[in-house]
Amino acid sequence: MAEASLQGKLIEFKGASLAVMTAHIRETEATRLADALHMMLGGMPDFFAGEPAVLDFAQLTSVPDRVDWTAILSLLRRYQVQPIGVRNLHESLHDGARRAGLALLGAEGLTAGHRVIAPQPASAPAPAPAPVAEAAPAAAPAPAAAANVVAPTLVVDRPLRSGQQVYAKGGDLVLLAGMSPGSEVIADGSIHCYGPLRGRALAGARGDTSARIFSTNFGPELVSIAGVYRTFERGIPQAVAGRGAQVKLTGSDNLHTLEITPLQND
Amino acid sequence: MARVIVVTSGKGGVGKTTTSASISTGLALRGFKTAVIDFDVGLRNLDLIMGCERRVVYDLINVVNGEANLNQALIKDKHCDNLFILPASQTRDKDALTEEGVEKVLKDLEHLGFDYILCDSPAGIERGAVMALTFADEAIVVSNPEVSSVRDSDRILGILQSKSRRAIEGREPVKEHLLVTRYSPKRVEDGEMLSYKDVQELLRIPLIGVIPESDDVLQASNQGTPAIHLKDSDVATAYQDVIARFLDEDRPLRFVTYEKPGILKRLFGGK
Repeated sequence: MAEASLQGKLIEFKGASLAVMTAHIRETEATRLADALHMMLGGMPDFFAGEPAVLDFAQLTSVPDRVDWTAILSLLRRYQVQPIGVRNLHESLHDGARRAGLALLGAEGLTAGHRVIAPQPASAPAPAPAPVAEAAPAAAPAPAAAANVVAPTLVVDRPLRSGQQVYAKGGDLVLLAGMSPGSEVIADGSIHCYGPLRGRALAGARGDTSARIFSTNFGPELVSIAGVYRTFERGIPQAVAGRGAQVKLTGSDNLHTLEITPLQND
Repeated sequence: MARVIVVTSGKGGVGKTTTSASISTGLALRGFKTAVIDFDVGLRNLDLIMGCERRVVYDLINVVNGEANLNQALIKDKHCDNLFILPASQTRDKDALTEEGVEKVLKDLEHLGFDYILCDSPAGIERGAVMALTFADEAIVVSNPEVSSVRDSDRILGILQSKSRRAIEGREPVKEHLLVTRYSPKRVEDGEMLSYKDVQELLRIPLIGVIPESDDVLQASNQGTPAIHLKDSDVATAYQDVIARFLDEDRPLRFVTYEKPGILKRLFGGK
């Protein structure tokens, strides 16, 4: 009997909502997009880890005659972005998008997200799509969005080893045993490291400029907050090397700078 | 219950096989029934270090593939009655190792009443190395006092944390021990080498011993005798200490401070 009732339900449709990110695309020339993405994510081809994305063309600078969808899609997939549909696309381009297997979504079909993924280097040139804060429609800062839901904090108890990577999605990351050179931590919120901070630490990965990085033993290969990053080719500044330190963004809007200061905890 | 111990490092040439040979011998000398398996399929070396290369008939891959049984493949050590060697295959490559096959070999060894099973890992972080550490209960991470070796050891510790069965099944993590080898107190003093304290600080796992750099090791491997058997050798003494610490006995660290040779020694030479 049970089997019979299951037979009737080999497929079932239920409403569900899915969190997706929006990729604001301002250029349809695949080679230029490739350059911009490379500039943005060069060292991290798997940064997006298969996240679904809606391609938003509202900010397209000019409407081209045709779009090479195959090239754009394969480019995005190379960075493990999973495009599922388009919106705000000019009507003349609808056919092509449909043929490429993309869903045509209405402008109101989605509630606009507050954050846009953009691990964007400070030096990213103008054509780079989706810069950090300005893409937020109502200029609503990230904490406002986070306030509704308690952001989960990811706690890592063991030392993070060379080659290991941890991503605290949507929240803070706490490292209780430090991290080794060659490891990488990414958090949408802040990073708190009790012990040596030695690898690459990227806080505010979705553009939260209020994120910070704290460490009791500072000595990373790279730090980044909301895409503004810094390496330490000439060594860690004396005042913070091997000591307690915090990294935060100062300045406003388009003139962010990273500030690294010693922590006064004695 | 047999304890499976992997001897691993990431980097090559740091002394994994020397360490596997000496530690397995040391445990056997303490009365434990011990097996040592060479996972370096395609580049077998352990049999040479143990001096049993002429007695290899069947190997690990034969056993994994069911072409021979364990009793046929295990070679009894020439020095210790309760030490057995399972050599690697010289003619195959590491793809011949399967997880099921390795698990079965380890289970069978346990049924034969072995107390300790040492897995001598190949260098690298590929299949052979991963197979060697997959079933480990404890890991001896061998590192030279040098940055690239330390970095590779760190990498292998990460793999241990993510790919070992204990990690995957969420059981108590693999017990990690740091063994610093090829240590030269003089070069540390001169600032040419990391000190064992630096290495430990970088890797942050408990130190089980420091083995001094010595010509004795080369001599021992040429003779096909594990270094721990050498008479009047610092290396042998250091490995004895490692065994003692492994068995929870307290031993102070030796051979880690540099003593300037005295005037007589300088005049008349001598060891």
